[in-house]
Amino acid sequence: MIYARALGDALRHALEADPRVVLLGEDILDPYGGAFKVTRGLSTDFPTRVRATPVSEGAIAGVSAGLALAGFRPIAEIMFGDFLGLCFDQIVNHIAKYGPMYNGATTCPVVIRTPSGGGRAYGPTHSQSLEKHFLGVPNLRVVAASRWHDPAGLFEDFLAGDAPVLHIEHKLLYPLQIETGNGADLGEFAEGGGEDALPTVSIRFVPREECSLTVVAYGYQAELSRRVLERLAIEQELFAELLVPAQLSPIDWGPLERSVTVTGSLLTVEEGTGGWSWGTEVAARLGARLFGCLRRAPSVLASANGVIPGAPDREAEMLVGERQIEDAVMEAAA
Amino acid sequence: MKPIIVPTTDVNSETAIVTAWHVLDRSLVEAGDNVAEVETSKSVLDVAAPEAGYLLRCAEVGEEIVLAKPLAYLFASVGELDDHAARLADAAAEKASSSNGGVRATAPAIQRAAELGVDMASLRAGGLVTVKVVEAAAGERTEVPPPPDLPTPLPAPSGVQRIALIGAGLGATQVIDILAPDASRRAVAIVDDDQDRWAGQVAGIPIVGGTRQLTEHYAEDRFDAAVVAIGSSVPARTRFRELCGDLGIPLVNAIDPSAKIAAEVEFGAGNVVCAFCHFGVGTRVGDNNFLSAYNSFDHHSVLGTDIATGPGCMTSGLVRIGDRARLGTGIFVEPHVEIGAGVQVASGAVIVSSVPAEHAVKRRVATMAVVPIRRGG
Repeated sequence: MIYARALGDALRHALEADPRVVLLGEDILDPYGGAFKVTRGLSTDFPTRVRATPVSEGAIAGVSAGLALAGFRPIAEIMFGDFLGLCFDQIVNHIAKYGPMYNGATTCPVVIRTPSGGGRAYGPTHSQSLEKHFLGVPNLRVVAASRWHDPAGLFEDFLAGDAPVLHIEHKLLYPLQIETGNGADLGEFAEGGGEDALPTVSIRFVPREECSLTVVAYGYQAELSRRVLERLAIEQELFAELLVPAQLSPIDWGPLERSVTVTGSLLTVEEGTGGWSWGTEVAARLGARLFGCLRRAPSVLASANGVIPGAPDREAEMLVGERQIEDAVMEAAA
Repeated sequence: MKPIIVPTTDVNSETAIVTAWHVLDRSLVEAGDNVAEVETSKSVLDVAAPEAGYLLRCAEVGEEIVLAKPLAYLFASVGELDDHAARLADAAAEKASSSNGGVRATAPAIQRAAELGVDMASLRAGGLVTVKVVEAAAGERTEVPPPPDLPTPLPAPSGVQRIALIGAGLGATQVIDILAPDASRRAVAIVDDDQDRWAGQVAGIPIVGGTRQLTEHYAEDRFDAAVVAIGSSVPARTRFRELCGDLGIPLVNAIDPSAKIAAEVEFGAGNVVCAFCHFGVGTRVGDNNFLSAYNSFDHHSVLGTDIATGPGCMTSGLVRIGDRARLGTGIFVEPHVEIGAGVQVASGAVIVSSVPAEHAVKRRVATMAVVPIRRGG
């Protein structure tokens, strides 16, 4: 099943399982079903609980906050992640803050979903990965979709807790098949994670002891990393362990530390612009904690620090792709 | 033959899932008939036949197709369709046979398997086959055939004990030097598991091969006994002692003539004792120990088996050292101390009390400060 369909099913399941769940967003009603067709069919079956909004991301976030304070479980779609900027104040100063500010006397369990990322030549305003600006915000969970995390399980987890969630969905994931459970073409496939943490998926073709590198990536970059690592394993027997965490912030450090302790080298991969990023945080923390285990300084791979061009070839030059990942892997595995 | 391509302007999808077939495989369809339904990430599309013909499906319901490639083909006749289907079947069979019998392997592993003559199809399915897996399979099956031009052990006059050394590293140079003054014994061959060393020599003694050649030459009476000439690895000493035991090859002691061996000292077999060692009265030494130069074990000490020491290890009397102990350089041991089996002791340690088995004695090494010499003005 493709990811977009699996995500739609997860939302349907959420609507069925919990009467407090409402969906809102721009153009999410049938027959259009949302810009990426994730909500297709839901407004027909839940006409009062799947609601289209005016074109105002600030309003979507604010109404969601109000609904959550009033006891609903809003799941809002922001049509493109680039528009998260319009929600920033609502998320950081309101939605994430209410719970701790009132010492838990009230909660604001909003889930905001949004497509992110480039690769479609949508230009500077519809291609960005802005999630790094939300990492580390107190009481906000930032979660990234991947091919290996069943969205049904993730949304059950979101709705079981009270923390607000920002769910990042790279738009190139929507048409890809999801692989949950032991995928036949994946080599070894294991899920890690602490008791309360979302799973961190491990993909490797040989035992960890034979891997010379840990690659940590999320979203679509995790898929690109998998392709590169599979190719290098088959062609050169260069073996690395790929770790794909679901939750970007706060980070579940256990699976990362256990792997890097054995492989002795770390590479982080993300599509957002370089610097002040998820990867620099991971590299700094693991570099300090595992200093004695690392045989080289951690590597951080991110996109060039610029505005994303609209022309496909120019866009490909700027954003992290398989070529950049391969170069970084070769260097970090040495 | 006319391919049916899914008509779409959807730039967001490279693939689609076949959700329904409205016509049977190999059936006759008319131009414009709705033949199938496929789903992209954006929408469900109906696919119509561009012309009339017999339809051959390329994918079944639930399968994924690449949108740029055909969903089906149309043929003017059933015969044409059957010909094409037969060609596809042949190509699929050829692909299956060329892909190593369904085993997934790395390129280096495929090459290594060809070198070693390992049949990929015999390897375990599931998991990636690597060079390591191939070599392990080759090792289980049979050892690699030796190059034909391996040297044979040196001859020796009758009455001279012919000794094979195990390990062609620097330990071998020491053992050869120990044996050199002894007219009654001669090192005649060296074996080593590192094939790169085969056919070479150490101090004039030929490296005749590996474990297999050890067995063969002993069976053919080309040597009489063996010494494990490995000083750096206790596990390797243990392994080769056990191997010789299994093969019935006797181990002999190689004791430097400069060693002082007092009264009532007992030695087992296979010990290497380097220059200027001292064994006090009543000391007992087990088997297969490698004792470096200037070791001194004072009276009534007891050494186990498979021990390796660096130079300058000194014990007082009545010390016991367990099997597989590994001692560094320059270690002093007080009387009555028992060093357990498998203990590792860092260089320069002074051991004043007993050490339990499988423990390490660490020592904060007093490092030197190395500074440039100040040139006086």
